[in-house]
Amino acid sequence: MSFHQARYPERLVKEYSSDNSSFIEYTEIPEWFPDSMRRGSLNLPQIAEYDVVRHFTRLSEMNYSVDTGVYPLGSCTMKFNPKYADRIASIQEFSEVHPLSGEDNMQGSLRIMYELQEMLKSISQMDEVSLQPPAGAQGEFTGIMIIRKFFEVNGEGSIRNEILIPDSAHGTNPASSAMGGFKTVEIPSNGDGMVDLGALESALSERTAALMITNPNTLGIFDSQISEIARMVHSAGGFLYYDGANFNAILGKTAPGKMGFDITHFNLHKTFATPHGGGGPGAGPVGVVKKLKDFLPVPIVRKNMERYFLDSSLKNTIGKVAGFYGNFGILLRAWAYIRRNGSDGLCEITERAVLNTNYLAGKLSQKYRIPYAKIKKHEVVVSSEGTGKRALDIAKYLLDQGLHPPTIYFPLIVKEALMIEMTETVSREDLDLYAESMLKALEVSESEISEMPRNTAVRRVDEVKAARDQILRW
Amino acid sequence: MHSKDVPEMLNFLSLKDIGDLFSDIPPDVRVDGINIPAGISEEKLLDEASAIASLNRLPSISFLGKGAYRRFIPSVVDHVSSIPQFQTAYTPYQAEISQGMLQALFEYQSVISDLTGMDMTNSSMYDGPTAAGEAARMAYRCSEGDTFLVPDIIDRNVLSVIQNYLHGLPVKITSYMVDRKTGKIDLADLASKVDRNVFGIFAGIPNALGILDDNVFRIQEIKGNAMLVTYYDPISLGAVKPPGEYGTDIAVAEGQQLGIHLAMGGPYLGLFSFRKEYVRKSPGRLIGKTTDSDGNPAYVMTLQTREQHIRRDRAMSNICTNQALMAISALSYLSAMGSKGLRSVSAATLKNSRKLIDALEKTGAGKYPFNAIPFSDVLFKMHLSSSDLAARLGESGISGGIPARDLITFPEEGYHFFSVTELTGDEEIEALAHALGGATR
Ligand SMILES: Cc1ncc(COP(=O)(O)O)c(C=O)c1O
Repeated sequence: MSFHQARYPERLVKEYSSDNSSFIEYTEIPEWFPDSMRRGSLNLPQIAEYDVVRHFTRLSEMNYSVDTGVYPLGSCTMKFNPKYADRIASIQEFSEVHPLSGEDNMQGSLRIMYELQEMLKSISQMDEVSLQPPAGAQGEFTGIMIIRKFFEVNGEGSIRNEILIPDSAHGTNPASSAMGGFKTVEIPSNGDGMVDLGALESALSERTAALMITNPNTLGIFDSQISEIARMVHSAGGFLYYDGANFNAILGKTAPGKMGFDITHFNLHKTFATPHGGGGPGAGPVGVVKKLKDFLPVPIVRKNMERYFLDSSLKNTIGKVAGFYGNFGILLRAWAYIRRNGSDGLCEITERAVLNTNYLAGKLSQKYRIPYAKIKKHEVVVSSEGTGKRALDIAKYLLDQGLHPPTIYFPLIVKEALMIEMTETVSREDLDLYAESMLKALEVSESEISEMPRNTAVRRVDEVKAARDQILRW
Repeated sequence: MHSKDVPEMLNFLSLKDIGDLFSDIPPDVRVDGINIPAGISEEKLLDEASAIASLNRLPSISFLGKGAYRRFIPSVVDHVSSIPQFQTAYTPYQAEISQGMLQALFEYQSVISDLTGMDMTNSSMYDGPTAAGEAARMAYRCSEGDTFLVPDIIDRNVLSVIQNYLHGLPVKITSYMVDRKTGKIDLADLASKVDRNVFGIFAGIPNALGILDDNVFRIQEIKGNAMLVTYYDPISLGAVKPPGEYGTDIAVAEGQQLGIHLAMGGPYLGLFSFRKEYVRKSPGRLIGKTTDSDGNPAYVMTLQTREQHIRRDRAMSNICTNQALMAISALSYLSAMGSKGLRSVSAATLKNSRKLIDALEKTGAGKYPFNAIPFSDVLFKMHLSSSDLAARLGESGISGGIPARDLITFPEEGYHFFSVTELTGDEEIEALAHALGGATR
C-alpha cells in the first residue's frame, strides 16, 4: 500500500460552459446608461453549479492540507484548525455585520474584539493592542511605522534611521523595515545560534531605531541573553521589536513584555489555530508598551460601563494600515480558540508543541546534523549536509510518502536546512512515522530520488520554465 | 496524543519533567502561566459565542456601503471556500502536492485580468486600501519623480493607508481638484499639476463621492510619464468600460463584493492588476503555468525573486500571508455568476441607484447634488439636520445615511451616503422615502 494523490487532467474553469445563470434575475443595463461609458465584451466563465462544485472538488483533491495530514512547515505553525471556530464564524449575526453599522448595532462584535485585545495583552504583557493589521508582515510594518512616528514626534526622525535584524530573521522583517524607510543592518549569529553580542554592541548607535528579533528564533533556539540584549538596545535609545511568529513556543512560559520588548506582533493564524486558507487570510495584531500606546492605528475598541465603543482619539496615531478594523473573521476564531483553551490549555499547548519537536529532533539526530543547542523550542532546523542528500531530495521523497515536507533552505544561515515545526496537534505515531520517513530518505538511491515525486498530482515541476515563460493567465 | 506518551517521550529524551524543556529560559524572564480565565468546554463556548453574537443587531433595512456591500452570494461560493483542502492548506511552497490551490489561483489571476482588461493580476492583497498603498509604491518604482497625485476628495481610510505606505519613500502626496458641481475630476486642474515630477496619479471610478466619473477615461491624454492607478469597483465592470481600456497602468480594488461576507470589515480581498511590462516591479505572489517532468501542464509560484523571502530588504513588498482563500471565493463567484450574472448585478445596481434618487427627491428630504451617475453609493444633500435624520432612520429601523465627512475628505455638512446594491428592494426604497417623507424645510 502506498500513498497516491488524485491526478485529474482538470480543465481550466473557462473551458466549461453553460449559458445558464439563474442565480439572480436577469436585468438589462438601463438604456439611459451612456454608450461612452459602456463596456463592450465581457468574457467571464459561465458554469453550471454542478460543474463549479466538481471542478473545485477535483482541484481540492489535488491539494494537501492540515486536514489531510502532518504539515510541519517550520515557522508557519500549521496546527489543526478546530471546527468550532469555523462554526462560530459562520453565525449570521457575526458574518453579516456591516463594518459601518454603528456601535449600537455591533456590540457583540466589539465585545469579541475588546476581549481579544485584553487576552492578547495578558499573553504578551503589553499595555495596549491593535487588531487592525491583516497579517504578521503588516503587523511588522505597523510596528515600524509606530517607531518611525515616535522618533519624528520626538525630533529624532532624521537621525534614527536604522533597524538591526539578525541574519536568522524571516524575510518579512527586513522587507517591512525597508518599506518604512529604514536602512537594515544585519547582525550575525554567534556559535550558539544566538545574537552575537559583540556585533550587536558595535552596530548600536544613535542611528539605531530598533532591534527586531524573534525569541525563540527561526532556529528554534531560545536566546537566553535576551535581558542583556534589551538593556543594550534600550541604553542606545532604540526599541526592541518582537516578531511573534514563534509564540507557540512560549505561551505561559515567558512573555515579550517580561523579556523587555516594546512592540510585539502576533500571527493569530499560527499560534491561535485559524485556518491558513491556502496562503491567507491571517491576522497580525500589534501590542505596545505604555510609551507607544498613543501611536497605534485607530480605532481601538474600548469599554465604558457595559458598552463597547470605537476610540479614534489617539494623539499620535499612525492612522490606518487596513480598510476597517482588521480581519474580524480571523479575530473571532482566535478569540474562540483562546477562550476554549484558557490559561492552562494554552500552557499545555506550548509544552506539547515543544515536546513533539524535541522528540522528533531526538529521532533525527541519529543521521542528521542538528546545529546549535540541544534543547529546541517549537521548531528544529536539521541539515542534510554530509548525508549525500540535498534538502530538496528529502522533500521530494517525503511528498511520495504523502507527507508534507518541512520548510527547506531557510533559515539562510544553515546549509541544506530542513526546518521542522511539528506543533502539538500530531500524535506520537505520526511523529515516529515522519522520523522514519526522513531517515529512510537518506537510504534511497540518487537515481530513485531524481525520479521523485511519482505519487503526487504532477511530477517534478519546472520552475525555470515558469519564470522564463511568464504565463500568468490563460 | 495519549497521556502515557508524555512520560515515554520525555524518557526517550532523558528528561524527567516537561518543565526541563524550558530550562533554557532564564528565571528572570519566566512567567508563571497566563492571566486569562480557564478554558471551557466546546458546548459552553458555543453557547457563549451565540449569546455574544445576539448582541449584534442586523438591520431589517440597510443602505450601508462605502467599501463594503451586502450582495447576493450564491450558495456554491460558501461551499467552495469551505472545502477543507483549500481552507486548511498554506501557501503552495511544495508545488507537486499543491496543484489544486495553484491552478485555482492561476484561474483567479486570469479571471480578474479578463474582468479588468489588464494584462496580469497577482494572487491577492489584503484589501482594497492596502492594494492602493502597494500600487502607489509600485508606481514609484516604475516611473520617475517624487509626487503622487490624489483627488482632493478621497476616502479617508484609503488616503491614510496610502500615506503610510508612501511614508518611507522620499515622495510627497499632492491633491488635484474634483469639481464640486459635477462631482468629477477637474481635468484642467489635474493637467496643470502633471509634470516630470509626478510618478503616479490615483483616480477612483466610482470615485469617493460614489460617481462613475468618465473624466477618468481622459487621464491618459494628460498623464505624461505618470503611472495611472485606477481604483475601481469590480461589480461596476459588468456595465462600465474596464480599466485596461483607458490607459490604466495599475488597477486596484476592494474585492469583498465578489462573494465575500461582510464580517465587520474582514477578511476581504485586495485586487491587484497591472500591465505586463511592469511584472518584475510588482508586489505579491504570482502563479505561473509550466510543465512537470513528464511534460504535463503544472502550476507553480513564480518570479519569487521579487518577494521578501528571497529579496529581503530589497523586496517589492513585505507581503507573505495574503488572502488566497478570498481569491478562491471571488473566482467561484465570478464563475458561477458568469458574464450574464455580473451584468445583471451591475445593471440592477445602476437602476436602484436611480430609483433611490427619484424616490428621495420626491419626498423633498434631500437632493442629489451632482449631474452624474452614481454606482451603489449615492450621496445626498439632505434638508434635514443630521440628528433629525438619524432619529427618523432609527425609528424605522433603517441603517444608512452616514455623514460624508466621516468617511471622505469632504468637509461640507448635510451630505449623507445611502448605498444600494442589486438586493435593495423597491419596498426598502419606499420605506426610506416614507421615513424621510414630509421633511421639507
Ligand atoms: C518568523 C516569521 N516572521 C514573520 C512572518 C510573517 O507573517 P505573515 O505571513 O503572517 O505575514 C512569518 C510567517 O510567514 C514568520 O515565520
